[in-house]
Amino acid sequence: MSILSDVFKSTKAVILGMKRTLSEIPREKWTVQYPDVPVTVQPRYRGQHLLHVDENGKEKCVACYLCAAACPSECIYIEAQDDPRPYEERVGRDERYAKVYNIDYGRCIFCGFCVEACPKDAITHGYNFEISVYNRADLLKTKDDLLITKQKQSKNYRVALSTEDVDSEYKEVDSVGIKFRL
Amino acid sequence: MSELIKVTINEQDFEVEKGARLIDVCREKGFNIPSFCYYSDLALQASCRMCLVRIEKMPKLQTSCTITCTDGMIVTTQSEEIEKAQRAMSEFLLANHPLDCPVCDRGGECELQEMIFDWGDVEERFTEKKNVEPEKFLSPIVANDPQRCIVCKRCTRVCDEWMGEDAIEAGNRGVNTVIGTYGGWLNCSQCGNCIEVCPTGTLLDGVYRHETRPWELDQTITTDVYGSDGMQLSIGSRGGLVHRIVARDRYVNGLNGEFLDVKARFAHEFVNHPDRIKTPLIRYKKGGKLIPATWDEAIHFVGQKLTESGKNVGVVASPRLTNEAIFTLKRFAKEVVGTDNYAVSDRYDLSVFFDNLSAPLATHKEIRKAKTLVLIGGEPEEEQTFTAKQMRQAVRNDGAKLIIVNHTPIRLSAQASQFIHINPNSYDAFVLALTDSANDDANAKKLGIETKDLADFRQTLSETEGDTVVMFGGDLSPQAQSVLANSADAFDGTNAKVLFHPLPLYNNSVGANDLMEGKKSLSEVLKNSKALLIGGSLQEADTNLLANKDFIVVQELFETETTKYADVVLPAASFAEVDGTFTNNTGFVQRVRQAIEPVNQSKADWMITTLIAREMGADFGYNFSATMVFKAIADSVSAYEGLRYPALKDESKPVQVKHAISAKKDLSKEFDVLKSNVEKLSDEANKLTATPRVGHKLHRLTTLTSKTAQFHLLAHGNPKPENLLVSPLVQFNLDGTPRTETADAAAVGVTDRINLKVEY
Ligand code: SF4
Ligand code: SF4
Ligand code: SF4
Ligand code: SF4
Ligand code: FES
Repeated sequence: MSILSDVFKSTKAVILGMKRTLSEIPREKWTVQYPDVPVTVQPRYRGQHLLHVDENGKEKCVACYLCAAACPSECIYIEAQDDPRPYEERVGRDERYAKVYNIDYGRCIFCGFCVEACPKDAITHGYNFEISVYNRADLLKTKDDLLITKQKQSKNYRVALSTEDVDSEYKEVDSVGIKFRL
Repeated sequence: MSELIKVTINEQDFEVEKGARLIDVCREKGFNIPSFCYYSDLALQASCRMCLVRIEKMPKLQTSCTITCTDGMIVTTQSEEIEKAQRAMSEFLLANHPLDCPVCDRGGECELQEMIFDWGDVEERFTEKKNVEPEKFLSPIVANDPQRCIVCKRCTRVCDEWMGEDAIEAGNRGVNTVIGTYGGWLNCSQCGNCIEVCPTGTLLDGVYRHETRPWELDQTITTDVYGSDGMQLSIGSRGGLVHRIVARDRYVNGLNGEFLDVKARFAHEFVNHPDRIKTPLIRYKKGGKLIPATWDEAIHFVGQKLTESGKNVGVVASPRLTNEAIFTLKRFAKEVVGTDNYAVSDRYDLSVFFDNLSAPLATHKEIRKAKTLVLIGGEPEEEQTFTAKQMRQAVRNDGAKLIIVNHTPIRLSAQASQFIHINPNSYDAFVLALTDSANDDANAKKLGIETKDLADFRQTLSETEGDTVVMFGGDLSPQAQSVLANSADAFDGTNAKVLFHPLPLYNNSVGANDLMEGKKSLSEVLKNSKALLIGGSLQEADTNLLANKDFIVVQELFETETTKYADVVLPAASFAEVDGTFTNNTGFVQRVRQAIEPVNQSKADWMITTLIAREMGADFGYNFSATMVFKAIADSVSAYEGLRYPALKDESKPVQVKHAISAKKDLSKEFDVLKSNVEKLSDEANKLTATPRVGHKLHRLTTLTSKTAQFHLLAHGNPKPENLLVSPLVQFNLDGTPRTETADAAAVGVTDRINLKVEY
């Protein structure tokens, strides 16, 4: 191989690369100026979990441990508590509730199995995705972080309307034929 | 082996034993048959109709749980027709069943759930309103959710057949059938067996109510720490807390199946009790306070003080401790101190029984199969509950003869074919009468019975065709025990085997007796020594002998009467926290397994003793592993020769230690004592006529239960009405003092058996 052909080949590569780069410049920008601009998440996005309450503010969770049993990464820890008081005085909706309900976000893989398993619709995925912390121990979220009445919601996202075609940007990518971005 | 017959199941031919039950045969041969009401140990019920099979030449589908195999029977267990019937049955069962598995404590180990998983339909066609009844407590420890009941009547059958209580019964008919109690409360011995056998979440453990779910619990198979029957049980623990105790699965067919008693099943709250001693405690000067110390400090202090006392150190072991702990204490006495001053703090001494034993020990299976049972003294329903259950079933289900000789009409006497109601304190006379028929008239007079009673008794024995089991315990004087244990020939039937069964009071009384060979009596040891090493508290009555000692070390779980005299208290681990073995009243050595890490700073008893020994310059050759301690036992105690933990692994094949069987001995000294005792008896005596209630006076002594185990009933915060109708329970206030309003109900009858004067 001669030096000449080497030079030729690398020059060609640089030109091809620059062509790609330059051609992108006039196109529409897809990046979001987060956190100045909220991110759009899809309706079925799986963010930080929410523990729900019923119409009277009673926790729906009956501490049945099914979510913990379903969880593949074993990151849910529950301690149940008997609550034989009448409904009005109870913490939860039924005669047992979760005294402790922890999810370790250092291990959660956001698979949604827990939500699937719950017989009481007590746990769902919320949209909160800002769960990074400075200390690894803080990834362990307790009931105070998870209850829908207590969880602090970030203002930095909006949920796409169900009518909104959130997938289209990818389709657009497809139609231009730039397959490798996927 | 009885006759074999031919049965065809699903077109396969099998040879089965004549008289075998069809459902058992099918299951054994690998054909799955669903069932709810069938329970092999109980009378037949045939109420659930899940076990249907097609038998040729029979008009309708048949319930296989009630059919006995006959020769040439042709059976189909699976077909469209059968499945349709079974699916229909399960649909009916669910017609009234609520969908509250998520809150139900049985969920996860529920037979109904399992069965519906296989035989149920996704759609429910019943739209009618379901029966709804509020959940309630039938007693502080039995919770009841009536709408979940499938009316299999297992609970009523165990209550009747196992316990003889009949406290729970089915009322009404048809769809209105409910399981109920008399007066809405369970006035019974609170064994909890109905909870265990209930296939659904209708009857539930009130102590463990809504605490966690079964699959979250680590299950550790271990041995009961209260009774000498050595019942096998499973501790459910999670995160260092003992949540519940249940019996072993009934299909494992271990020693006791699903049978447990109130103590074994419910009295476990002491394990994680906040009053447990947390650190070693030292009393630096007499009369001062016990002050927390580090282990190093405490062991160093103990070593120094015991060394100063030289050979004046006595060693006392509680019969509640594991074999490993007791053995180590004995080695401490022998090898470190170099003394023979060691004793067991049991309520009566078993050595006379084992020294004179002239026939093998009966196992519980042999008791169940025996043809004649002789019970002399004792109250097994209170103290050896599983033995009592086996006796009752032998009589009820297999027509065994039960002869009871007792000074009170104990409840079991209702089952007896002959109840010899003797005068109080006249057991010696009975033993004399047994061995010598010449003086029947005189003896009968002392006993307060007819001469004919003795003749009848002998006749029953001589006519027995099968095994005879003779049971007796601490109600008899040591001399009477020696003579009885040595006279197996007095019970010989026609082609019988005679077996003995002692009635020890503690979980490891027998082990303590085996391992503390050459022990002295407790009072002797307490009197002869200036310093003491005590493993597990003494009985309260004995503690006054502890005054004015130079130095006392106690290994304990709680502060007790005994620790009041202690100079150093070392926190010991409970049975749930250690590995080891107990030896039960049939001579089975059974494993105790560690379920949780030792609570607080406690250590296993044997480890504590070993640490002290090491401080004093002795090396026992084991430091961290109970396996090595057991090996040392096996190497030096002949009855335990060659045993190792792996050999004890399978609790359904228990290992019986080899207690030596001695030949007929010359017991003339004992006879002389008996005779002089009998002469002192007056002919006129008042018989005790009240039947003592079976009342769970939990033994309030030694290691575990000085913090009386049942106060957890009150501590648990369960809703309870003011007029607690569970009178047989001795109720305790939170501070451990007995509740006066129920105490007298508990003391019906005269004998507080715990205070029976027993000579050491
Ligand atoms: S999303 Fe998946 S990994 Fe996370 S808690 Fe639920 S089941 Fe566990
Ligand atoms: S969140 Fe749902 S599945 Fe998890 S314990 Fe509570 S009720 Fe059960
Ligand atoms: S008894 Fe069984 S089936 Fe019924 S609610 Fe409880 S777990 Fe579910
Ligand atoms: S309470 Fe339980 S054991 Fe008793 S009949 Fe009902 S389901 Fe069967
Ligand atoms: S098991 Fe045969 S009818 Fe219930």
